[in-house]
Amino acid sequence: MLTLYESQRRLTAFLLLLLTFCAYFTLVVSVKHENFKTCDQSGFCKRNRAYADTASSTSLWQAPYSLDASSVKFEQGILTGTVLKKLINSDETVRLPLTISFYESGTARVTLDEERRQKGDIVLRHDSKAKKQRYNEAEKWAIVGGTSLSSGAATSKGSEKGTTNVHYGPAGTFEAVIRHEPFGIDFKRDGVAQVKFNDKGFLNLEHWRPKVEKPAEDKKEGEEAVVAESSKEVTEDQSTWWDESFGGNTDSKPKGPESVALDISFPGYQHVFGVAEHAGPLSLKETRGGDGQYSDPYRLYNSDVFEYEMDSPMTLYGAIPFMQAQKKDSTVGVFWLNAAETWIDVTKSTSSANPLSLGILGSTTTNTHWISESGLLDVFVFLGPKPQDVITAYSELTGFTQLPQQFAIAYHQCRWNYVTDEDVRDVDRKMDKHRIPYDVIWLDIEYTEGKKYFTWDPMTFADPLGMEKQLDEHERKLVAIIDPHIKNEGNYHVVDELKSKDLAVHNKEGNIYEGWCWPGSSHWVDCFNPAAHSWWKSLFRYDKFKGTAKNTWIWNDMNEPSVFNGPETTMPKDNLHYGNWEHRDVHNINGMTFHNATYHAILARDKEEDKNNVRPFVLTRSFYSGSQRLGAMWTGDNQADWPHLEASIPMILSMGISGFPFAGADVGGFFGNPSKELLTRWYQAGAFYPFFRGHAHIDTRRREPYLAGEPYTQIITQALRLRYALLPAWYTAFHEAHTTGAPIIRPNYYVHPGDEKGFAIDDQLYVGSTGLLAKPVTTEGADGVDIYLADKEKYFDYFDYWMYEGPTTVKVAAPLDTIPLLMQGGHIIPRRDRPRRSSGLMRYDPFTLVIVLGHSGDANGTLYLDDGESFDYEEGAYIHRLFEYTSATATLMSRDLTPASSSPSKKTKEYLKSMEKVRVEKIIVVNVPESWNGKKEVEVSEELEGKSAGTRMAELEWHGKVEGRAAWAVVRDPGVLIGGGWRVGFA
Amino acid sequence: MKVAVALIYLEYAAHSLAASPDSGRPRGVSPDFAKFYKDAATFTCISNPSLSLPIARVNDDYCDCPDGSDEPGTAACAHLSPLSPQTTVNGVGAAGSNTTLALPGFYCKNKGHAASYLPFTRVNDGICDYELCCDGSEEWESVGGVKCEDRCQQIGKEWRRLDEQRQKSLGNAGKKRKELVAEAQRLRKEVEDRIQTLGTQIEGGERKVGQLEQELVEVERREKGRVVRGSVPKKAGKLGIVVGLAKQRTEELKEALLRVRGERDASATRLVEVEAILATFKEEYNPNFNDEGVKRAVRAWEDYAARDKGAEADAAHDRDLDALSQSDKQNGLDWEEYEGGDDDESETDVLYAFEAYLPPSVRTWLDAKLRSLRITLIESGILADTSSSSSEGESKAVSDAKTRLSTAQKDLDGHRKDLTTHQEDLDKPFGPDDVFRALKDTCISHPAGEYTYDLCFLSKTTQKPKKGGGSTNMGNYVSLEQIWVDEGAVPADGKGLGTGLRWAMKYEHGQHCWNGPDRSTMVVLGCAEEGEVWRIVEEEKCVYRMEVGTPAVCGEAGLKGKGGRDEL
Repeated sequence: MLTLYESQRRLTAFLLLLLTFCAYFTLVVSVKHENFKTCDQSGFCKRNRAYADTASSTSLWQAPYSLDASSVKFEQGILTGTVLKKLINSDETVRLPLTISFYESGTARVTLDEERRQKGDIVLRHDSKAKKQRYNEAEKWAIVGGTSLSSGAATSKGSEKGTTNVHYGPAGTFEAVIRHEPFGIDFKRDGVAQVKFNDKGFLNLEHWRPKVEKPAEDKKEGEEAVVAESSKEVTEDQSTWWDESFGGNTDSKPKGPESVALDISFPGYQHVFGVAEHAGPLSLKETRGGDGQYSDPYRLYNSDVFEYEMDSPMTLYGAIPFMQAQKKDSTVGVFWLNAAETWIDVTKSTSSANPLSLGILGSTTTNTHWISESGLLDVFVFLGPKPQDVITAYSELTGFTQLPQQFAIAYHQCRWNYVTDEDVRDVDRKMDKHRIPYDVIWLDIEYTEGKKYFTWDPMTFADPLGMEKQLDEHERKLVAIIDPHIKNEGNYHVVDELKSKDLAVHNKEGNIYEGWCWPGSSHWVDCFNPAAHSWWKSLFRYDKFKGTAKNTWIWNDMNEPSVFNGPETTMPKDNLHYGNWEHRDVHNINGMTFHNATYHAILARDKEEDKNNVRPFVLTRSFYSGSQRLGAMWTGDNQADWPHLEASIPMILSMGISGFPFAGADVGGFFGNPSKELLTRWYQAGAFYPFFRGHAHIDTRRREPYLAGEPYTQIITQALRLRYALLPAWYTAFHEAHTTGAPIIRPNYYVHPGDEKGFAIDDQLYVGSTGLLAKPVTTEGADGVDIYLADKEKYFDYFDYWMYEGPTTVKVAAPLDTIPLLMQGGHIIPRRDRPRRSSGLMRYDPFTLVIVLGHSGDANGTLYLDDGESFDYEEGAYIHRLFEYTSATATLMSRDLTPASSSPSKKTKEYLKSMEKVRVEKIIVVNVPESWNGKKEVEVSEELEGKSAGTRMAELEWHGKVEGRAAWAVVRDPGVLIGGGWRVGFA
Repeated sequence: MKVAVALIYLEYAAHSLAASPDSGRPRGVSPDFAKFYKDAATFTCISNPSLSLPIARVNDDYCDCPDGSDEPGTAACAHLSPLSPQTTVNGVGAAGSNTTLALPGFYCKNKGHAASYLPFTRVNDGICDYELCCDGSEEWESVGGVKCEDRCQQIGKEWRRLDEQRQKSLGNAGKKRKELVAEAQRLRKEVEDRIQTLGTQIEGGERKVGQLEQELVEVERREKGRVVRGSVPKKAGKLGIVVGLAKQRTEELKEALLRVRGERDASATRLVEVEAILATFKEEYNPNFNDEGVKRAVRAWEDYAARDKGAEADAAHDRDLDALSQSDKQNGLDWEEYEGGDDDESETDVLYAFEAYLPPSVRTWLDAKLRSLRITLIESGILADTSSSSSEGESKAVSDAKTRLSTAQKDLDGHRKDLTTHQEDLDKPFGPDDVFRALKDTCISHPAGEYTYDLCFLSKTTQKPKKGGGSTNMGNYVSLEQIWVDEGAVPADGKGLGTGLRWAMKYEHGQHCWNGPDRSTMVVLGCAEEGEVWRIVEEEKCVYRMEVGTPAVCGEAGLKGKGGRDEL
């Protein structure tokens, strides 16, 4: 009977197992840490941290890198030379070619390579086919301009001995002081060092060496440094040089250790920002422990990190290795062009104030330590001095953000998944029925037949074209998901072609790599391959991707790439890409190459078939510096809880200052079910995300806005309509980003770089240059928020004109139906107040201008307008106006900002003709002078073809102050044209 | 430019004045509101009578009245809505003004079809909203060059054709409903009749049971007293009893053993199956699916799999079991050896032996005395009632009486249960006129997407994959409810719920859904000529809604609220 008992016991165990199954479904969960490496588990990170520790703690430390003075040459803005690395316990040196380029823009670039690898004079282990060079093609993907060399840069003999100096930048105010031994560079502006390379001696470039089989010493990990010090002989931790295992996967590392690392210091700078994407505060924290600080460096290794946690330096889906440092009235930056896994340590040191010199405070210096696994050491330095200068210089290099179609900045309704074409049509009808505006509805992976992209499930999406036609009736769009993993299944034309044309990523043996993703066994298209790029383009033709129409756009997900059974949920690092570059070398760029291929595919679809000259829309999850040229990003799989709502704002602000401002977070939270309050607050916040999309996981309850019930649906609709009314302001901000790189939503430091107190503020935002200041509510049950006003300026509540005045922190009431939103004095905000079903249907609606008068009494604002869909704007088909109110003359002028042209293009004329009836229907003036009381009329004059066309009067309605609300006035239907020049006289 | 602008103004004016030459009403005004626009010189805002405007400001595409009444024909006041941002400039917060839109919408005359109101947000947006405004009159400004021709003749004709069909269909549906009601009444009558019959049967049954109980008592009494030599089986001796019991118990144990062994084998097979499923599950689960439950389950499985497997079903055990379950002789047990052929006397034998020595008169007396003593002893529980201790020992008369009684009892119980069921059935709600009684357990089938759905009224809903595989229970009928639906107007083909209170059948506790709730279905009923599933929506994960047409809800009893064409 024992056997019987045993089997019962096992049954019991099984039942318990089942119970375990059920019990945990409802629990809130968080990131699976063990899936992702810490610095200590990442060999090169650990080695370089140990190197830094040794360099910092040993007085005997002698940085082994020196610049061979005799090798230094300077020609046409480029300095070349050879850095020599002295090997430990040996007289040998390793030759490292150095290039320092000085660009016309004032940007300097330092590149350090390794001669032996460069020449291919190395031997790879395991008969690897990998390319021998350090990866030198990152710039091919990331850099698109801004590299014309400076003609004015000039070298001078260093004032200090053993240095070479180069003057460059605007009026030669920048200077690079290159120290020969140990090698290092100080970048100065106006004679003051702003950025220092290798000031701490952490520069480290792991040179190639053959593996020497040593007699087993059986050292314990981590003891080497101690041993080294005690024996006064420097040895290195070799335990992770030749292979490395993590989570059951072994990286064969055929090229041995090859990391590059450098310390970059920002003397006098208290704050650093950037290195997106991380879920943490905008102002980066210190990373070497301490109270409230991180103990791991910021990591950049694009990964599908599900249920990511808040306030963490952990890597996320994308990487922008661009950092800005901020001190009072000065911003500088660096861009670390490297596509391999990268870690960044941040520490701050404060010099104590001298008690004898009154008024002089201690200054804080921020030190950073950049560590990449492989590739070149390639760093760009931007010396500012304004935030805008740094970001424009960075954007010139990596490209400006795409000017999106207007629908793309309106509201997107997404869910994993709308399950049938009828479901989509139903949501479309219901949004109309409830009078909720939206522009785009999305399809996640379930629309496909068995997760085979470019197919439709014939059972559930029998009539995609009919569905798209219905959407098109109200100028709405469909976005369908296409991922980079291609199902490995017979009779699927995409995988057949992928294999037969050999366009997939290869494994270390050189065969097609196979891994697991949504469809099960899959292959990954290798978009580094030009042939794959062209093939990918062909797949989006209407006859190839049947069931798509011209209002179908694309969403690229999982392009980190996400591989369910791979190390850290991605590809093995020894996989091989086109040109035999190892995956380790290109990992962080991979997502961008896929996004890029899709962007060009959509471009080609239009060029070859529609010929509408329209701009593609492609959303990506993974990104790198340069992805901003291709479309939008979102912050991936967040959760329906308050902390994730709160975190979305610093995350999107961080994207904004990183040159990729077209960013958003899933409204409502992807995982889990938001409470109605949370959902409502999230829509109110989402109305201020540049990319505004509601999304939800397949296991969540439906949450389309009309399902929330009252009062929630009404409040959500108000938030959506607010977004739509302000679309002209948003679109103008996008245009500014497109031309200058300026963030679309801006953190306090960016707008007020002289206000040190506000540098760390990351929970409120300015919209473009409009002076709109929003502070979305991100806490449960809040009935008000504190808004920080940095400047001595008046601010007015957007809705009721309640007046506030900075600099101070003000309390703003925010019951559930209220979004804390202020208007800074001195701006003119363009709006379109008529609610429509979609943004496309607002095209010919009249404008409302809101003039917000502050202390000076003057105000201005811009409006950029084009057809919202085509590239015709590149040929001049747009309206760009500057509205200026001058208090001295009490006049409002509309001036043309388009470059004067004697012969406007055909497209320009056509566009202006189409807009010839669009007028300003209302001018609201907030905080009008008391003297306007009793004023009944204003004088309106328009110019016609450059000439004044006479004047007429328009009615003015004055409203006096009530309680704390500012006095305001409305010009009734001035009737002036939005594209024309005119003047309204209030005097 | 002034000229151009002035021209535009003129155009507006011309439009607003010449809009409706036949009616004299400004554009977008319905006859119901015409009285507010009569004055030739001034217009007074409808909800804000203190505000008057020159008549030229009506439909001049600028919103003057806080209630929007000066712009019946444009979208200029479309933002006056609780759905829009609530700003001061829209009059919100300004004391005393009524900002509720005074007009229900832009009035489309739709000559040749039915007039209707269109939301102001749709006026002059460049889209022809033929659904509400078949005359295209709302796009009078031709923004973006749009031209909306008048399609009312065509649309109206088509609508009337469909409406005629619908009316006809409604007529038929009404008839069908009557039939259903009649059927339901017949069914109800049947139940009522049955209840009556059952009542009578129960009464009779109760009487019968009473009689039989009486009879049994008598028979038993009689039988207890009768001591019939030889009728007591031999094995009733002490050892015999033990042996009998032992044999019986052993047989039972053997059976139990075989049964348990079979169960064990089945469980083991199932366990192997389950382990295989879990092993595959561990291999194939998607670590990216972000489901902590799944991840924990996998971890628990790994722990479980790594643990000591416990004793395998080992051969020796099975041999023992084989031996144990063999027939008794092979097992070394020969029951007959114990049962038959022994000379042990039972107590009764002794008793009778003693009696044999007495004279006949004494013997008769003694016999009578003994018999009554025995009965007394048995009845007072002192002596075991060997005559009824086993069925074999029971007299045929007693067991017959018992059988009769239990049969009657069973009949009675059956009838009583039946009665309860039927009475409950009568009390259950079956909708107005009891009409759903006629639908009970009738089923309709509907293919949609990858499934075929089956709806059995007042019973259950199921889905079956078209690709094959078993069907899934989507809920069992729980209750009948009335719910508010708001699906706008019933489409011309009549296949829609419209707006109003509708009957709905709630089905719950269907098959559990992976990572979700138990499946459930809300079946909402609309009027149709034939029973037909119109639409199936998975409103949330594993929460379904079926929109179903049936004649059962046609007519006033089923349709409250409006089902007409008006959306506003």
